[in-house]
Amino acid sequence: MVADSRSVKGCVSSDLWFRTMYARTWVRTKSIFGEPVWLLVGIGFPLFTSVGLAFLYKSSGISSLSGFAILGGVMVSFWSNVLWSMASQFYWDKQEGIFEVYLISPAPMTAILVGMSLGGIVGTVPSALLVGVLGWSFFAPQASPNWAALAATFVLTITALYALGMLLASLYLVYGREAESLNQAVGEPVSLLSGLYFPSLGKSSPFPLAVQAVASLIPLTIGMDALRKSLFFAQDLWAIYPDLVALTAMAVALLVISKKSLDTLRERGRREGSVSVRFT
Amino acid sequence: MGWQRELGWGNPVLVILLRTATPVASVLTAAMVYWFGSSQVGLFDPARLAFVVVGASLYSQISTYSIVPTLAISEGKNTNLFPNVYISPSSALPYLAGRFLASFIDSLPVVAISLVVSFFASIWFFGYQIPIIASVESVTMLMVAMIGVIPAALGLGYFLGSYAIFVTKFEWALPSYIGGMLMIFSEALFPSSVLPFPLSTISEGLPFTYFMRASRAALIEGSLANYSLQLGLTATSGFVLLIFGMFFFRWAEKRGRMKGYIDRKTM
Repeated sequence: MVADSRSVKGCVSSDLWFRTMYARTWVRTKSIFGEPVWLLVGIGFPLFTSVGLAFLYKSSGISSLSGFAILGGVMVSFWSNVLWSMASQFYWDKQEGIFEVYLISPAPMTAILVGMSLGGIVGTVPSALLVGVLGWSFFAPQASPNWAALAATFVLTITALYALGMLLASLYLVYGREAESLNQAVGEPVSLLSGLYFPSLGKSSPFPLAVQAVASLIPLTIGMDALRKSLFFAQDLWAIYPDLVALTAMAVALLVISKKSLDTLRERGRREGSVSVRFT
Repeated sequence: MGWQRELGWGNPVLVILLRTATPVASVLTAAMVYWFGSSQVGLFDPARLAFVVVGASLYSQISTYSIVPTLAISEGKNTNLFPNVYISPSSALPYLAGRFLASFIDSLPVVAISLVVSFFASIWFFGYQIPIIASVESVTMLMVAMIGVIPAALGLGYFLGSYAIFVTKFEWALPSYIGGMLMIFSEALFPSSVLPFPLSTISEGLPFTYFMRASRAALIEGSLANYSLQLGLTATSGFVLLIFGMFFFRWAEKRGRMKGYIDRKTM
């Protein structure tokens, strides 16, 4: 009888989890695709940055490396989405009073975060693709892709990156007005360290070993390194498996830490009453 | 008031440090892309690295304070502040100029920090000292050049502000496109000769290109003659842009009042 009750409770809670996740995914996807202009406005920053840096490679005497800049433009679309639509989302929800609704509803917070992530990924793919297609058409850089390795790396990088976004979302709950400044301060330095546009790991990196060690704690660093290897140097799954293992470990660890962090900070917010504090 | 608002009512030192992280990282990214690319083909040149560092440091600030009028209007609409500005006896022009100048003042330490950090980072990361002339004369010349580009940046700001009067969402979209194009066409990172014709000719019509050249003449070449020429071109083309920007903004403001765009917002 007790076992049956637990089983029913488990089914109900997993059903609620998936329904919440689907609902949050749907809202985010609809908000992006319901406004097709998003596609155009979203590509401005990544497209011009990657084109500018591709021209910089060309002016440096090696236009064949312009592909590094285009790949960086594709991936910075996802990184920007993680920062502005994942990390700071709960802060904005708090400002608008939605976060309190999340708290008093039975909807699991992790389902909301996963839904936000899936919606964000689906919504960012068209902009990222457009940046890639336009950049590749204009500069026509040479590539020797190993598609299996490229696909596996991309999926794992995105998973780890959005897991990081979930962790940041919970951490930003404790910040007030500083959240936006913090976001602005974090975005570009992480792009630099993670080598979005140039190799930041290995012999070709301009960084000393200590900086490389710190940079390799960021999932984007490992992901970019493996993406370059599989897209431009035809390295297969076997050649990049250490990167894939690292990305998997990072994704799992970040998911666990973000869950614990969210629970802790939410409880602290409830006790201290800071969850409902808004800045006008 | 404008300065406090620009700092988000936060601790000035902390906010400036946080705001410095992004431009410094952008400058270093450009420097590293140049270093990595040129090293692969054995064409690394410290003078070209200085070209990239100076341009990237100044570009990031121009792109920041040029969009201030746009942000001031869109924020003002959302916080109901802008209607108070436009019902005041004066036009919104001086209000936006005040916000712009506050942002310009904020940018001065950021440019200085970007250049200093890049100088030492180049020694640390690349093992090369950037050949930048750091003297009272060159810094004064840079400061004068930065003041000389104010009309151009404010003129661009008024154009973008006009756009913000009419739109109720995605206000940041056009400024991000304009900022991106400036990076490509203003010689911020590479000489315009790298661009294919006829794109390369666009650079010659921009005051920001002459500003970049004047700043490099002060900090890298140490050529007073070239500096004076480029500064003159910056100021002349900048005043033309400012006058057109002011006229366009006045027209947009009048039209916005008539059509009711001026306090329309998306909830």
